[in-house]
Amino acid sequence: MAATTTTGTADEGTGMRRIGLFRTVSAGPAFWWLVLPAFLFFLVFFVVPTVSLFALAFNKSAAGVISLSSAVTFDNFLRIFTRSIYYESILRSIGIAGAVSFICLVFGYPLAYVIAKTTNPGRNTLLMILVLSSMQLDMVIRLYGLMVLLGDNGLINAMLLRFGIISAALPLMYNVFGVIVGLVQITLPFMILSLIGVIKSIHPSLEEAARSLGASRAKAFFSVVLPLSMPGVLAGTLLVFALAISSYVVPALMGGWKVMVMPIHIYQQVAETGRWQFGAAIAVVLFLTSLMAIAVYHRAAMRTTGGRS
Amino acid sequence: MSDIHLKNLVKSYGENIAVAGIDLHIRQGEFFSLLGPSGCGKSTTLRMIAGFIRPTVGQILIGSDDVTRLPPEKRDIGIVFQNYAIFPHMNVADNIAFGLKLRKKSHEDIDRAVAFALRQVGLVGYENRYQRQLSGGEQQRVALARVLVTEPRILLLDEPLSALDKALREEMKYWIKDLQKSLGITTVYVTHDQDEALTMSDRVGVMQKARVEQVGTPQEIYERPKTLFVTTFIGQSNVIDVTVRGRQGERLSVDFGDSTVLTRAPVAEVSVGSAAKLVIRPENVIIGAAGAGLSATVVSETYQGALVRYRLSVAGQEIVAERQNQAHLARFSPGEVVGVSWDPDRSEALVA
Repeated sequence: MAATTTTGTADEGTGMRRIGLFRTVSAGPAFWWLVLPAFLFFLVFFVVPTVSLFALAFNKSAAGVISLSSAVTFDNFLRIFTRSIYYESILRSIGIAGAVSFICLVFGYPLAYVIAKTTNPGRNTLLMILVLSSMQLDMVIRLYGLMVLLGDNGLINAMLLRFGIISAALPLMYNVFGVIVGLVQITLPFMILSLIGVIKSIHPSLEEAARSLGASRAKAFFSVVLPLSMPGVLAGTLLVFALAISSYVVPALMGGWKVMVMPIHIYQQVAETGRWQFGAAIAVVLFLTSLMAIAVYHRAAMRTTGGRS
Repeated sequence: MSDIHLKNLVKSYGENIAVAGIDLHIRQGEFFSLLGPSGCGKSTTLRMIAGFIRPTVGQILIGSDDVTRLPPEKRDIGIVFQNYAIFPHMNVADNIAFGLKLRKKSHEDIDRAVAFALRQVGLVGYENRYQRQLSGGEQQRVALARVLVTEPRILLLDEPLSALDKALREEMKYWIKDLQKSLGITTVYVTHDQDEALTMSDRVGVMQKARVEQVGTPQEIYERPKTLFVTTFIGQSNVIDVTVRGRQGERLSVDFGDSTVLTRAPVAEVSVGSAAKLVIRPENVIIGAAGAGLSATVVSETYQGALVRYRLSVAGQEIVAERQNQAHLARFSPGEVVGVSWDPDRSEALVA
């Protein structure tokens, strides 16, 4: 969709363009002062610490040493890419984050569609509360709730054992399955919120036009609504992917340290062995992996939508 | 191409009645307008014909087919929306080809039909443009082309001119009408603009409060309004309180102040002595020298270029008169006493 509109002449009255969103930004130099507080905060509390952590990755690994030295070495990175325990965790992280993004999309899209299309204000509010309520509780608390459900003695296993459907507890936790369930639970609202806005911005008459031209409900959805909601799909999956690949708490609790993804390695290196330099190197790799995966996905998605997201 | 029958069409949302029982026959090849203020149910009616809204009660026939329960894609209709609904992710050619691709036409057929349609709407060379590169008028042409290539049985137009500026609206009005006439396609046009309805339509259905108040040719609607609403909604009218004195064939005599005047009689029975409304268009009020007709006092004169508009006080009621601004016609000034009359056939009596 046309995000950066120019002048109003062609837009007047169509009601379908997002007019003016970006127009005010160029209103004058005085406006830039408004950006300053957030910019300074971001610089001091994000850019500086992240860059200094990343710089640490190029120092020789030494337990308990945090100070930066000027002796540059690539040993830490060499180690990551030569030891299977580390490079496999890269693939595992990508795989899990990819799976979580996909599952969130499949689960989230229909719900987002229903919420976006519901005109009844009461029902709409109810559905939104449903989505947002899960975000009101702290992540750790929600994960403990999941453990009650999925544990070996948890509700599901207890029920299945009781009715004799299984003879031994199913491994629902402390494995990849548990981590994925946890991550989906945490990230699903982000996917839904990304999609709702975009689907809402697709004027209902577009779908109706497709129907009147002979498209079935499904055909109208796949040929009009879905392509036009690609910006939301893209934003949602990228957001979920970034959240999932960088999550430490979920793999720690739901994977019980058995599902070794990159953030777990980082934590172990920094907090348990005190080797900040090696932990920082893994963090750099995690960061670059995430960026690369996003770039590849973005390009692929752009190609399928004809570069018109 | 087909005619359309609406039989006792009702749509209610809970206690809210959007359309309260419409019976209408829209003839084959006719340009039929549904005219009314917003919220009168005209769009709901159109959307029921299109299949986007399922009627609560009633029947819709296109030709001899009962389409009441058919989804929109099975009705073989074409609809143009107020916002044109051009698919923004497809270029003009793909927009127009959309319906043909669904009909599994061959590539050659589609290309030929798209090229023909673009010529028809005067947009040759626009094939690769996107919606954001089109003006409102161009989008409307694309929307029409996209519909017409599928050769629908009926054409539905939902306020297609309301988003255009005035000059373009004038142009498109005649263009759409000519196109419709040359294709001979049965067309239902929804609008709140009386000017569009009168100019473009073969017949008009005036709607108010979920009902059709009157159906007729533009001339019938304008000159022989059957209800007070139709009178006041279409054009301007003087509405004067009178008392019925008696019927003389096609004429009704009514008491207006101390005088008795003649007017066209309503079809309905009227009882002597009952209150009625005398309806006269401003352009039909004749102002003459004092003594000719009813005695009136000029309240104000407003110069409007081609017209001069007078507010007159007649027997305690106000009457507005419009006169051509022509050299041979005298002008009157406020306070002047004049004579007011009208052709009885150019006035209506409506029983409240």
